[in-house]
Amino acid sequence: MDILEVKNLTKKFDKFAAVDNISFSLKEGEILGLLGPNGAGKTTTIQMLLGVLTPTKGTIAYFGKELHENREEILEKINFSSTYTNLPWNLTVKENLTFISYLYDIKERSDRIQEVIDNFRLKEILDQPLRELSSGQITRINLAKAFINDPKILLLDEPTASLDPEIAKFIRDFILKQRDEKKTSIVFTSHNMTEVEEVCDRILFINNGKIVADDTPDNLMKTIDETTVNLVIDKNNEKPLLDYTKHKNWEIKYEDRQYSIHLKEKEIAELLTFLSSKNIPYHEISIDKPGLEDYFLKIARKNKFREA
Amino acid sequence: MLRHLYLLRRSYDKMVDSFYWITLDLIIWGITGLYFQQLTADSKQIIFMIISGVILWNITYRAQSDISLGLIEELWNWNLINLFVSPLTFIEWVVALVTLGVVKSIMSFLFGALVAFILYKVGIFFLSIHLLTFIILLLMTGWWLGFTVSAIVLRYGTRVQTLAWTLVWLISPLSAIYYPLSILPVWVQKIAIFVPTSYVFEQGRNLLYNGVVDYNKLLISFGLNILYLIASIFFLRNSFDSVLKKGLVKVF
Repeated sequence: MDILEVKNLTKKFDKFAAVDNISFSLKEGEILGLLGPNGAGKTTTIQMLLGVLTPTKGTIAYFGKELHENREEILEKINFSSTYTNLPWNLTVKENLTFISYLYDIKERSDRIQEVIDNFRLKEILDQPLRELSSGQITRINLAKAFINDPKILLLDEPTASLDPEIAKFIRDFILKQRDEKKTSIVFTSHNMTEVEEVCDRILFINNGKIVADDTPDNLMKTIDETTVNLVIDKNNEKPLLDYTKHKNWEIKYEDRQYSIHLKEKEIAELLTFLSSKNIPYHEISIDKPGLEDYFLKIARKNKFREA
Repeated sequence: MLRHLYLLRRSYDKMVDSFYWITLDLIIWGITGLYFQQLTADSKQIIFMIISGVILWNITYRAQSDISLGLIEELWNWNLINLFVSPLTFIEWVVALVTLGVVKSIMSFLFGALVAFILYKVGIFFLSIHLLTFIILLLMTGWWLGFTVSAIVLRYGTRVQTLAWTLVWLISPLSAIYYPLSILPVWVQKIAIFVPTSYVFEQGRNLLYNGVVDYNKLLISFGLNILYLIASIFFLRNSFDSVLKKGLVKVF
């Protein structure tokens, strides 16, 4: 069941279309990644989804109801966390969570506050004002704030930025647990591609305000036919390899005794055949599987080429 | 509201704002009043007029600045977006700021009244039931000024935040706080008839010197306040809508 449906959403600032006629939906319990280069339109889209930016055109419906006409009822069930907003710096963690909780209709308020304090490991810093905390701690508080009303839909803009790897993993696991146990649907933006691959069920790739891809991470990665082969060969055998890669127009790099050759996946066999035909022994061979980052770079390169 | 009350509890700045200035004003104007007392015959009324002027004007100032600073505080903290991604409505937000302004104005008023009594034996409650009418009218003026400043700050951001401390003083010369309206040039008096606070302070003096209050004049003040309140709320709503077209996150 679609619990968020966006149709023909457009936002123009004067003549510039920051978001250009995009349509998508979100299912119950689905984690949707919004990816794209800086300025692609991700944050503009999220702001429109939250009702803090008026669209030029298009509709946003949550739970089958139009956002503009049912704002309060809808916002009761959703929440948001971002790196570009703050909670009041002079208030303590507990005061912040308490005042935010009063913005929502939360039953058993103090129990709920205690629950998010436990979930996000905030007990030790509860009475400290935010201005005294590290950026990682503040990110955890922002996330605690986002979960305070036990939302059905959560919009997370770079939720794990500034977190150390251990806490970032804890947060990712928490998000996945929420999805599994409570069927929470999440719209997620991040620049950490590994994280997106791990967390998201589906990815919308946005570029120049348009959706250029809408698929699962696996399917998007399958569209990348390029890969990198890393191998170690004896320095004496370097010349024939360099000549061959030059002839084939493959990019080659040498670092830490290792050669990295960038080629198409189907050309791997050709490379190996060449090495064997020339009796060039190799060891420590590895093949980098194309990831979302490669997809991201491919789109970015395409964009740059078009602009040029 | 809770968020601002938490802040008030521990913020030295906020405490200073609520209690320090009124005390300082009372000391400076009180001493000035005491000096005039030595120079004139109707000395008791002069010191009462000046001290009550300080205390009553502070109500308008506080009501206005607490509304405007409530908004500016959110902009400084980048917190506005957290409020409006919640079910909080624009009207609820405005009502919270107004209520907070009323609470702080009353606190500051009571404190000022106490200081005036201790230092000068001036009892503002001498104005009896009329005092309540004066306070309501002065609060209303503070509200529409606060909404106007907030509307401008929403449109232009914190670069015009100084209006929160200065705009209210623009109408103070026209309010005839410490002097009768009649001493102003005629053309200024013609402008002052559009300033609701001028009627309040004129009637305060009327009560002090003649023992009566002309409620018809206060009705004009009320009418003007209502008119300006409607216009300022419309302006604030309009500014908020125009900010939503740019994006709430872009206001700072």
